[in-house]
Amino acid sequence: MAEETFRLPDLGEGLTDAQLVSWRVQEGSTVEVNAPLCEVETAKAVVVIPSPFRGTVRSLHAKPGESVAVGAPLVTITASSDAPADTERTLVGYGPGGPESGVRRRARSVPGAAADNAGDVRAAPFVRQLAREKGVDLATVTGTGPGGRITRADVEGAAVGEGSVSAPASASAAADGDQRISVVGIRKAIARQMVRSVSTIPQFTEFAIFDATRLLAARAKAKASGRPLTPLPYFVAAVVRAVREYPLLNSSWDDTTDEIVVKRAINVGLAVNTKNGLLVPVLKGAGSMDTNAIAERATHLIEGARAGSLGPGEMSGGTITVTNVGASGPVETGTPIINPPECCVVAFGAIRPRPMVVEGQVVARESAWISVSVDHRIVDGALATEFLTRLVSDLERTDA
Amino acid sequence: MADSAQVVREQDPVRSVLRADGSLAGDPRRALGLTPEGFVDLYRKMVSIRRADQEALNLQRQGELGLWGQFLGQEAAHVGATMALEPTDWIFPSYREFGMAMCRGIDPATMLTVFRGLTHGAWDPRKFHFAPLAIPVATQVPHAVGFAMGSRLEGSGEVVLVTFGDGATSAGDWHEAMNFAGVFKAPVIFLCQNNYWAISVPLPRQTAGRIADRAAGYGFPGIRIDGNDVLAVFAATRAAAERARRGDGPYLIEAQTYRMGAHTSSDDPTRYRTAAELEAWSSKDPIARYERWLRAEGLLDQAGVDGIGKEAESTAEKMRTRLREAPAPDPGKAMFDRVYSRPSPGFQQEREEFESSLESPG
Amino acid sequence: MSSVTMAKAINTSLRDALRKNPKTLIFGEDVGPLGGVFRITDGLQKEFGEDRVFDTPLAESAIIGISVGLALKGFRPVPEIQFDGFIYPAFDQIVSHVAKYRNRSGVPLPITIRVPFGGNIGAVEHHSESPEAYFAHTAGLKVVTPATPGDAYGLLQSAIEDDDPVVFFEPKSRYYLKEEIDLPSAAVPIGKAKISREGSQVSVIAYGPTVETALQAARSAEQEGISLEVIDLRSLSPLDTETVLASVRKTHRAVVVHEAPVFGGFGAEIAARISHDAFDVLEAPVARVAGLNIPYPPARFEKLYLPDADRILQAVDAALAYG
Repeated sequence: MAEETFRLPDLGEGLTDAQLVSWRVQEGSTVEVNAPLCEVETAKAVVVIPSPFRGTVRSLHAKPGESVAVGAPLVTITASSDAPADTERTLVGYGPGGPESGVRRRARSVPGAAADNAGDVRAAPFVRQLAREKGVDLATVTGTGPGGRITRADVEGAAVGEGSVSAPASASAAADGDQRISVVGIRKAIARQMVRSVSTIPQFTEFAIFDATRLLAARAKAKASGRPLTPLPYFVAAVVRAVREYPLLNSSWDDTTDEIVVKRAINVGLAVNTKNGLLVPVLKGAGSMDTNAIAERATHLIEGARAGSLGPGEMSGGTITVTNVGASGPVETGTPIINPPECCVVAFGAIRPRPMVVEGQVVARESAWISVSVDHRIVDGALATEFLTRLVSDLERTDA
Repeated sequence: MADSAQVVREQDPVRSVLRADGSLAGDPRRALGLTPEGFVDLYRKMVSIRRADQEALNLQRQGELGLWGQFLGQEAAHVGATMALEPTDWIFPSYREFGMAMCRGIDPATMLTVFRGLTHGAWDPRKFHFAPLAIPVATQVPHAVGFAMGSRLEGSGEVVLVTFGDGATSAGDWHEAMNFAGVFKAPVIFLCQNNYWAISVPLPRQTAGRIADRAAGYGFPGIRIDGNDVLAVFAATRAAAERARRGDGPYLIEAQTYRMGAHTSSDDPTRYRTAAELEAWSSKDPIARYERWLRAEGLLDQAGVDGIGKEAESTAEKMRTRLREAPAPDPGKAMFDRVYSRPSPGFQQEREEFESSLESPG
Repeated sequence: MSSVTMAKAINTSLRDALRKNPKTLIFGEDVGPLGGVFRITDGLQKEFGEDRVFDTPLAESAIIGISVGLALKGFRPVPEIQFDGFIYPAFDQIVSHVAKYRNRSGVPLPITIRVPFGGNIGAVEHHSESPEAYFAHTAGLKVVTPATPGDAYGLLQSAIEDDDPVVFFEPKSRYYLKEEIDLPSAAVPIGKAKISREGSQVSVIAYGPTVETALQAARSAEQEGISLEVIDLRSLSPLDTETVLASVRKTHRAVVVHEAPVFGGFGAEIAARISHDAFDVLEAPVARVAGLNIPYPPARFEKLYLPDADRILQAVDAALAYG
């Protein structure tokens, strides 16, 4: 004896349910194979369902007038032992909404295309387009995607001189004794980016010194309240405020249309010296951050850049760059080169005491140089001066 | 030439064995060359296929078959026509010829695997001289004519019987095939099982003419017979086959019968036909009628009837068990094995990818 | 609002078309007293009479051939082909005449050929095919297919009102799919795709029965944090490339889904369009998830043949991992 549950089959090619019209048996009835069990009405016809089992009706799972889904239990029969055991499933008539095949499944791993064209550069069209935009030569990039494919991240990494370029620079001695160093990786990316800058952007630089007395006072106060800050967040915050007043400094020149694209977002690139070379992680959305938030984010980016742990999204998309000059040593300032396609780069020198004239007297004051390089196609001297003036007065007014 | 149809009619060997009303002329016991056991065998086969047909419908209602098209009421046509042929003669069925397939020795459980969705073709046509089912209406008719043309070209002597319903006679394929058969004098018998209904469309809405008369237009004879009289079907088919074998060309037999069941298990005939019509045809039931004749002739008694009934019951039971036990074939085999004789490397690769996708764990 | 099946929506759309225009005719095999093998024309002969809704002899070539003549005489024929796999006898009439008559004569042929299509209903051979690509390939025809009851109503109205011939494919496995709508529902213009679900990472482009499958995939993907945009083409010809391209420009990745075999299927057209018109934004090749390159298999195996959510997700995974 075995309990057999008979489920409603799809009685007419693609039906999803049927309405029970009437039972021809009751619980406790004995039935023979093919004895009428019930009458059901489908979307196509009224049909009588014969019993697939011989035995005793144990339970009826629906009442007349009720709708039964295809595959739902209709009747349970305590079958005589000669009934086939495995009848839980409806065999053919499962309907379109029936159970999934349960056989053909999503493969666990994605079939990766083998790198059969080892000599060819493998990259999707979008990645190639990105490489063109960023001036990255795909032949020099090692792909990290399936089958050695160059990914978007590989290109973004290469564009800022990071990422997958792991081959060390090799040096070879030439016959005349000069040393030739093959340039790869970050060095190559920097070289490319700098060439692009000076060969496409007519740029000039203006300089100023600002009195950092109040800035240092603010720092001291922050430190006393347990928030030690470097000068950088104050610099970045001041740049952001100045950019808001002079949005043209936060723009880029579109060569293809000869248009100036003024950026809505203020994403500040932070030039960071790392053991691998200069990297520029990007502090995104700086326009909506206060000094503390900038400090927190900048710390993460700088540490990440040095550790090599930043994602491609954190290394691209800058709209203006901030750099430091002469943090150690006697250097006062320099002429920073614009990071294309940006319009402006601001370099801050070291804060140290310098002789300054205050109210007619030469006194030693904590101070620093600021130099601003701009794209002359976008910004003339007068505007650069206004921007720099705004920056100086902002920093000199810094409140705790 | 204008009266060529009339000419062939006069020499018509089929017409001579039947009366005008389609019943058998003369004494069947002499005319048909059947032994007493031969007569009983026609009965046995009709009873057996009817019981199996009923069982197949039950199996559909129990979810064991996706679809079933009953041939209830058409047993005389199935048995009479098949048994009148030589076993090497070919039959080209439509999709309702389960009874004919059983008469040809095809295992009914195997045949039902088509309706269980396990395969599109469950037997080797060359082994049973029985073509695969042809579901699109009338499409098998030109195939039969082509085969018959081949038989004539080779002089191999096989006759071909192609069977179809009244609805098929509306289709272009049917007319084109009839015309070819006439032109090439193909040894082919066109057996129309005119069961009055093409799904819900009754004969008068299918054609304004008489089906049997169509043959004249193509230059060969046609006859309308009582399709519920197994002996009439047998006699007409045999005469047409002998004629074809002699090289006298095609013949159209319109066997008037009635589809007592629904078109298929998905159909609801109460929407389009009356109980009275069904009732009227019940009285012409081919099995009951033939049983009366056998009893009257002293060829069959109650014990014989009971024995045959039991035998049919056991055949049906065996079919049910064997069907339910039929193993599902390997998907790769079922889906790819028979598509090409020599699969291309690309096709093989697709198959391998498919098969490996089955193996990969979820 | 009430719960309406696609079968009911099409039935109502046909009824409204018969009411609106006395020149509308419906005919085909078993469309009269039976109401069609799927009961789509249920009750129409009773309401509009045997002159306007009638059964024909069993001959698809003539069903379409007489449609040409009736259209020339000023009627709007809406013939039904009973099953996808039975349309082939009518292929000659459709391709040689329905599609080209206007080009030959300047006379428009407002014929709407209704065809239940697609598999997944456990049917026997010839009842589960997806022949849409043959017709989309033929200029002069419009080819549409709805995925929801509301669209089925509106798209069929547009098809019948259109002065050009339209092949209207009905996803038979979705006939009993329900939607909460009011009938008559809004008109659906031919040639306009629909974003069935917005997403950002991969565009999944489907039509007819596979739209629901794509939506299933999108729901599972969401649980994995993957955002799929599902586009229901609704119209294969004319094709709304604008909607497709806009989506791909957003997502950079596309997967096309249909039941018809992948080889030479309609997905090839979509893939080619995207590859050509959005080449520079692609981060992965356009993938096609479709039927296998074999005859439609016996019912037991159809779920292995048809695209399902798993196979769509597999293609999505591959597209996202590409590079």
